[in-house]
Amino acid sequence: MRRALIIALREVKTYLQDKGDLAFSLLLPVVTFALIYFAFGGQGLFHGTAYIVNEDTNGVYAKQLVEDIEAEENLDIELLPLADAERKLEHSDINMVFLIPADFSDKLRTGQPVELTFMQRGNGGQEGQIVASIIRGIVSELNQDFQVRGQVEQALAGKDVSPQRITTTTWQFLERERIYPLVGVKEVAVGSEPNMVNEFLPGIITMYVLFAISLGAAAIVEERRIGTLERLLTTRLTVGELFFGKFLASVSRGFIQTFILLALSYAVFQIFTPLSFLTCLLIAFVFAMAGSAIGLVIASVARTQDTATWVGVTVTLSMTMLGGTFFTIQKDTFLYYLSKISVNTYANDALKIIISDRGTITDVWLEIVIIAGVCIVGLMVSRLLFKALPQGK
Amino acid sequence: MAEAFLVAKDLHKSFNDHKAVDGVSFAIGKNEIFGLLGPNGAGKTTTIRILSTVLEPDVGEVTIGGFSTGQQSDKVRSIIGVCPQELALYEELTALDNLTFFGRLVGMNGKETKAQAMANLALMGLEQRAKGKVSKYSGGMKRRVNLAIALMGHPKLLFLDEPTVGIDPQSRNKIFETIQDLRKNGMTVLYTTHYMEEADRLCDRVAIMDGGKIIAMDTPHALKSQLGDPEKITLEDVFLKLTGRLLRD
Repeated sequence: MRRALIIALREVKTYLQDKGDLAFSLLLPVVTFALIYFAFGGQGLFHGTAYIVNEDTNGVYAKQLVEDIEAEENLDIELLPLADAERKLEHSDINMVFLIPADFSDKLRTGQPVELTFMQRGNGGQEGQIVASIIRGIVSELNQDFQVRGQVEQALAGKDVSPQRITTTTWQFLERERIYPLVGVKEVAVGSEPNMVNEFLPGIITMYVLFAISLGAAAIVEERRIGTLERLLTTRLTVGELFFGKFLASVSRGFIQTFILLALSYAVFQIFTPLSFLTCLLIAFVFAMAGSAIGLVIASVARTQDTATWVGVTVTLSMTMLGGTFFTIQKDTFLYYLSKISVNTYANDALKIIISDRGTITDVWLEIVIIAGVCIVGLMVSRLLFKALPQGK
Repeated sequence: MAEAFLVAKDLHKSFNDHKAVDGVSFAIGKNEIFGLLGPNGAGKTTTIRILSTVLEPDVGEVTIGGFSTGQQSDKVRSIIGVCPQELALYEELTALDNLTFFGRLVGMNGKETKAQAMANLALMGLEQRAKGKVSKYSGGMKRRVNLAIALMGHPKLLFLDEPTVGIDPQSRNKIFETIQDLRKNGMTVLYTTHYMEEADRLCDRVAIMDGGKIIAMDTPHALKSQLGDPEKITLEDVFLKLTGRLLRD
């Protein structure tokens, strides 16, 4: 045990002394988080662009429709000639275009049905679908306006009311209805607004811990190649102590990295209570153990440092995606069930429960047990495969 | 030969179908410098790995200082030092840190380790650079650190696997002088090299290996005498006569 500790201490000392390594493991997560925070932070509401081809350039109603769309606070508009719109759609520069035909105003004026078109690639993309939904609402209102006006005109036909007065009165009535609707809809905020820190921080921390651990695995392969592992076995160190020392080193490194990042978050974002901070440290510690066990499996099977690096990066990125680091995985989808095979999922979930939901350790015991289980299985597999020499002990 | 300090009996080791070591037996006397020579792939490094307890032989046994490498590997490791062919160093650490790290692993306490680390570095002419990172060292300095580490823990038997590969004449000379001094102080040395003049100069006896077997074993003088006038024949002549002139991988 003492000799395993000596192995671990040397690696921790090297990690803390190596400025490049420290920068990678601490600065990069902070930079990544800052980029995500500034890219998405503060955008609680949807904001999109409506790409419009208006072929009824002189039409009053087309102009009115475009102005109504522009008045939507969630939308910007970009007017395009038809040829440009088709080219952009072809190149996937945009996914959806709203087309107002040339006879739009004329047909409306004469009470004929008229068709507006959404030109889209595939399903139009998430943003396109939301923009289309907003435009449909505006068109629906326009439709109702004309229907009401038609009905009123029909009802007053033959009476001594000028068409001008009918139009003015109808519009005034509809405008009042829009301002003071008979059936209203209100939005009530429940709980705190979605917090970018709570959303992304756990995933980014666990991702970089996995990166660091898998690159540590590559370093073990390199040590095997240059002969330091073999040399260690000519001392009084046993293979078991060497293996355990490497495991301890990896856990320590992963935990120190997580500790610093969580402590920084504590100080900067003030998202913890002392108890929730300690609970997150416990989760981080168990996760560092599981990640280290996975790292040792990689170190045991990879023959070259390059192979270990690529396997490590691939495993890390796959787990990051499956763990929902950068997006929320919808329940009961294929991806949701697939994510259950990634230990990252449980670590991210547990950290989010503690940070976002103000949960306690009793709320995350299952996640902790699963992560610990992955650690035990990983350790057993890697110990069976681990060799200090390619064809030796 | 003086009292045997290392005895290797009928060692065999195969990797898949390849016989790396095939019936190797020899003994090294106490305080002797024994050379193990052979072309690439002859089985020298595998033999050293077996002797230094890193590999277990498929067949055969080894005793060092009366301890069996199979049953008493921990005791064997406490009396041996190994300087591998590769520069097995932690380049991001200082020379002093490298030596103290390995010193702790051979069972020395902190104070003792540091004192011996400094003494070993002084022996290698590196005391002024003890706290410099190994990554900044020249090839010759790294070779000397490689040897200094092997001396941690006061080993009684030193395995030197091509310790002078690719270094400048000054560093090579320093390593020779150190080995001779160590022998004067009672150390036993097993030395492998491709440089025949080194073996001729340093070794009391040499064994020439090829194809996993020992094909000749005697003093350099006796081996040269078998080909003619030992003053005119070199050990390299003997080596080429025994192992042939075909290129090896």
